[in-house]
Amino acid sequence: MKKNIIILGGGQAGIYAAREIRQNDSESNIKILGEENLLPYERPPLSKDFLLDKKNEDDLYFHSIEVIKNENIDFENVLINKVDFEHKKLFSKNEDVYTYDSLLISTGSDNKRLSLDNNLSDDVYYLRNLEEAKIIKEKVSDKNKITIIGGGFIGLEIASSLSQLQKKVTVIEIGNQLMGRIIPKQIADLVQNTHIEQGNEIILNKQIDKIIKKNGIYEILLNDNSIIETDFVIAGIGSTPSVKLFENTNLKLDNGIVTNQFCETSIKDVYAAGDVCNFYHPFYERNMRLESYQHAQNHGICAGKNIAGVKTEYTSIPWMWSDQFNLNLQLTGICDDYDEIIARGNDINNGVIYFFLKNKIIKGACGLGIAGKVGRDIRITSKLTEKNTIVDKQILSDQNQKLNKLIQKQ
Amino acid sequence: MSEENWIEVGSTDSIEEEDLIRFDHQDKTFCVYRLTDGFYATDGICTHEAVHLEDGLVMDDEIECPMHQGIFNIKSGEALSPPACEDLKTYPVKVDNDKIFIKID
Ligand SMILES: Cc1cc2nc3c(=O)[nH]c(=O)nc-3n(C[C@H](O)[C@H](O)[C@H](O)COP(=O)(O)OP(=O)(O)OC[C@H]3O[C@@H](n4cnc5c(N)ncnc54)[C@H](O)[C@@H]3O)c2cc1C
Ligand code: FES
Repeated sequence: MKKNIIILGGGQAGIYAAREIRQNDSESNIKILGEENLLPYERPPLSKDFLLDKKNEDDLYFHSIEVIKNENIDFENVLINKVDFEHKKLFSKNEDVYTYDSLLISTGSDNKRLSLDNNLSDDVYYLRNLEEAKIIKEKVSDKNKITIIGGGFIGLEIASSLSQLQKKVTVIEIGNQLMGRIIPKQIADLVQNTHIEQGNEIILNKQIDKIIKKNGIYEILLNDNSIIETDFVIAGIGSTPSVKLFENTNLKLDNGIVTNQFCETSIKDVYAAGDVCNFYHPFYERNMRLESYQHAQNHGICAGKNIAGVKTEYTSIPWMWSDQFNLNLQLTGICDDYDEIIARGNDINNGVIYFFLKNKIIKGACGLGIAGKVGRDIRITSKLTEKNTIVDKQILSDQNQKLNKLIQKQ
Repeated sequence: MSEENWIEVGSTDSIEEEDLIRFDHQDKTFCVYRLTDGFYATDGICTHEAVHLEDGLVMDDEIECPMHQGIFNIKSGEALSPPACEDLKTYPVKVDNDKIFIKID
């Protein structure tokens, strides 16, 4: 049956869903509604190669307009500011109405904002989209001292890029380690050492009390009464799912849009995918929200299948990466629920990995290495995790033995 | 086909099945693979960013980049999964007296 399918949010999950629907359904109308006047593009380079001028805007798009047109996928640049789930309608600011039979919500996430009690909120910069990346790139070009509030992935990636642009960078983190929400301390400390070796200043366990502007220079007052002087302030203090639009509707929300393993929301014919979801993961038997490239892609594809009537469970084992200086950090599985840690390697030139086990079963791993040094072993860990494998600890800890052996035994 | 373009990589038992080795020649890097049905060769550097594929995982006919999990078909070089979107160059391989040779143009 020919349907009107609308995808709200033209990011990574949205475009992968659209193409997957088309693969399974040649008839239905597929329309992506996107607030950004850009075809869907990759965000990871925004904090890395785009700031470093190694990639430009044209390198970021997932697909050219020709590919999207050939698949008969419509893209419209519009901000949706009202939804009526009962009558299956979306409304734009100019009162344009979009009617759907099936809806996918893939609105991503928004950056958390610092609450400043003076009028300096416009003086603090954030990075989520290409527009903001362009502004930061342009503004920092004539600045020297840059302060980044928040030692999470995005903040540290910006710190790495700006350091490579010869800026004097300070990172202020409220927690007692970098990337504290999900990365084990052992790996966080190795990352911190690299930042320091490269000349970045890392301040842990400190909170911002106030920011003051004096003659174009900012003074950041910390809770221990110390003051950081800086020319430019960027904040990367985490994100929240983009759900404002749905707050007064009956769509079930709880740290994002709650979905089951088929990307279905609490409302019939309404699906959700990507950063915006708090989805049920059947392997872990619980809900989770992930903000990663691999998840946005695979979750979008899974939603696309289900919208097209191909009932498919989402079972991907989580995986993400971060690139800082010449280091590549990777994380797979769940590394916060374990009773044993096994280390492999102790030199980042050859890769250092920590495996997390519970009841002898491998649950996940986090690794750090120059370029892709940990990639293969992390990938193998995802496969072992998926199969609930009891692993040979001696092989895990011995860098001279290839982990390939462990999957071939299956 | 001129004979001199066939470069010796090593002996066939230097690569385990479903695995690869890196081979450097002049200023270029290649990956040579042993799959269930024979030997294959591609460029040794990912087309996405300049990362050595030698640290990647070989699965069936595919090589997965160790940096961001871009996937290429080893036999055709086709980029199968983002962020890799540009194909990988492939090279002819022959085996002679248990020695592997690749033809570099
Ligand atoms: C700077 C940066 C660096 C990153 N680096 C990495 C990395 O190294 N590794 C990794 O694994 N992940 C990384 N990520 C995370 C990854 O990019 C995201 O998880 C992914 O983009 C999420 O995809 P999505 O489709 O859910 O949302 P998005 O790609 O954010 O797309 C959502 C889209 O919906 C639009 N939208 C929202 N509301 C509306 C509305 N009401 N009307 C119309 N349109 C709307 C938004 O404008 C946006 O274009 C990074 C993210 C950022 C921001
Ligand atoms: S470097 Fe190979 S996928 Fe990115």
